[in-house]
Amino acid sequence: MTKIPVVYVKGQYNHLIVRNLKELGVESKLLPPSVSLEQLESMNPDALVMGGGPQSVRSPDHLTGELADAARLIRQVKLPMLCICVTHQLLATAFGGATEAARKPEFGPVEISVIDEGQILEGLGPSFTAWESHNDEVVKPPEGFRVIAKSSSCSVEAMRHEHRDVFGVQFHPEVSHTTKGVDLFKNFLHVVREHQRR
Amino acid sequence: MGKRLSVAVQGFHPSSFLSEETARLRELVQDKKVISAVSGGVDSTVATLVAREALGDRLLPIMIDTGFLRAGEPERVKERLAISPTLLKVRLVHASGRFLASVKDEKTAEEKRKKFRETFYQVLKEEAQKEGCEYILQGTIAPDWIETQGGIKTQHNILEQVGIDPASTYGFKIIEPLAELYKDQVRMLGRHLNLPSELSERQPFPGPGLLVRCIGTVTKEKIRVLKEATRIVETSLAPFNYEQYFAAVIENRFAKDPSLKAISEAASEALGLLKSEVHVEVFEDRVTGVKGDQRCYGLLAGVKLSEESRETYGWLHDRLRQLQTGIVEKFPDITRVALLVKERRGGGPLSTLVRAVSTRDFMTAAVSPVPWKILKDIGQQVLKEDNVSRVYYDITPKPPGTVEFE
Repeated sequence: MTKIPVVYVKGQYNHLIVRNLKELGVESKLLPPSVSLEQLESMNPDALVMGGGPQSVRSPDHLTGELADAARLIRQVKLPMLCICVTHQLLATAFGGATEAARKPEFGPVEISVIDEGQILEGLGPSFTAWESHNDEVVKPPEGFRVIAKSSSCSVEAMRHEHRDVFGVQFHPEVSHTTKGVDLFKNFLHVVREHQRR
Repeated sequence: MGKRLSVAVQGFHPSSFLSEETARLRELVQDKKVISAVSGGVDSTVATLVAREALGDRLLPIMIDTGFLRAGEPERVKERLAISPTLLKVRLVHASGRFLASVKDEKTAEEKRKKFRETFYQVLKEEAQKEGCEYILQGTIAPDWIETQGGIKTQHNILEQVGIDPASTYGFKIIEPLAELYKDQVRMLGRHLNLPSELSERQPFPGPGLLVRCIGTVTKEKIRVLKEATRIVETSLAPFNYEQYFAAVIENRFAKDPSLKAISEAASEALGLLKSEVHVEVFEDRVTGVKGDQRCYGLLAGVKLSEESRETYGWLHDRLRQLQTGIVEKFPDITRVALLVKERRGGGPLSTLVRAVSTRDFMTAAVSPVPWKILKDIGQQVLKEDNVSRVYYDITPKPPGTVEFE
């Protein structure tokens, strides 16, 4: 059975990610971001999903608590990874991009325009409705990442690494109102299985 | 309704859940007695039935009448649970005076919720001592502890998950068979236990009840008005199959903020209407919301459109969504937006709010598109109350609102 733990950064929807993965036949549970690399390796996971949370990553040098730990995981773990909401912003800053207060924060339903289908957004284009809840946003993706979706208020709704299986999404695929969210998780699982074959 | 009759999905199987959970309960409780706190809602009813499978007569269901239940509810629930197929003998504990006294000097949502929780567990403690019970069983589900732990709102049934040890504080241990489940999974389990749909599909009602729909200070008169408005809204919206629908009450006291003009402008811009057709007022009492995974105890904007525009826009739910987004994205302190449905000039000091939402698991919620004519009918009926002068329709999804107001 595929094993994908979810890193719990205190967001309300983190537990829903576990639910989504279990419904897709994946073994999953919440992990604290303070988990050590050795502990993580001993669990023998196939990928990692990082949830959202209430914190802000605007000052990357002064990250506290869960986010400092989550940033460490993002840098050190070499598995396929999907980072959602605040950890999408953290992914950007951890690799040299920038996150700032959103000019127009987004809450509730938002229309997402797909720039680049393929991999996690396969079959979701040209656009779909996703639910969001964020005050900050990625304003500059890091080098080596490609922006794959945007909205009318936010220019980096989703991004992926050019060569590694690392993805960030600003919206919440795990909530039931994002009706195509389950397709995104299926696509991610496909990526994980391809990764295992390599 | 079709989506509710979903087949068992991977990850949750009612029958295997039931056998694992009853085995765990037998092992944990051994030959001791357990008090079960029931409300008549699907969570506590299902939790109680799961426990009865394991414990039989050693399970003692009680229901606390907090005074914040709907008209006639304690008696109705007791009668309903006594008959087949539930056959639960529920003992009523009357404590409405104590609950009202504990919250009467509180204004803010969190203080009200914490006082309610304290009284709730004091009453349970006394009952547990009377019965010689070491354990209290409750119907906590996943969103309860997720929201309390995340600081969104204090749910009345959460202690351990926020670092309060019930054994040393109250002298009993807590059992929560459904703590990992969501509402739709609990309903699935309820159907598996042969609950009739009036119980398995019953709309949620919060533990603190009408207390969290009586925005700001609690008075007997506000609660009385709220009970009547609740009856009207529940009767009018029952045929529509929304997952949750209810009334709330708030005092007509408004903020005197200089940015009010800018809010009215943002509202008219979002709707493409002339400034003279849109008037926004902001209530003084705050309401609970959630923005960016953070609790936002913010302001409620009441939007009044000219009579003619109201008749048009009241039907256009996509435009109302733009109105709500247009205000909330520009003014960080505003959490929720409501549209005036009907008013009576020179009427009483209270406003009533109508809320209806569609949701699977209550983690996110969309505004249900209540037909404008139905809203006006509700307004007409509620305005017969002398103390109510306005009726609003809440047009805020979760996020940035929450389902309940406090």
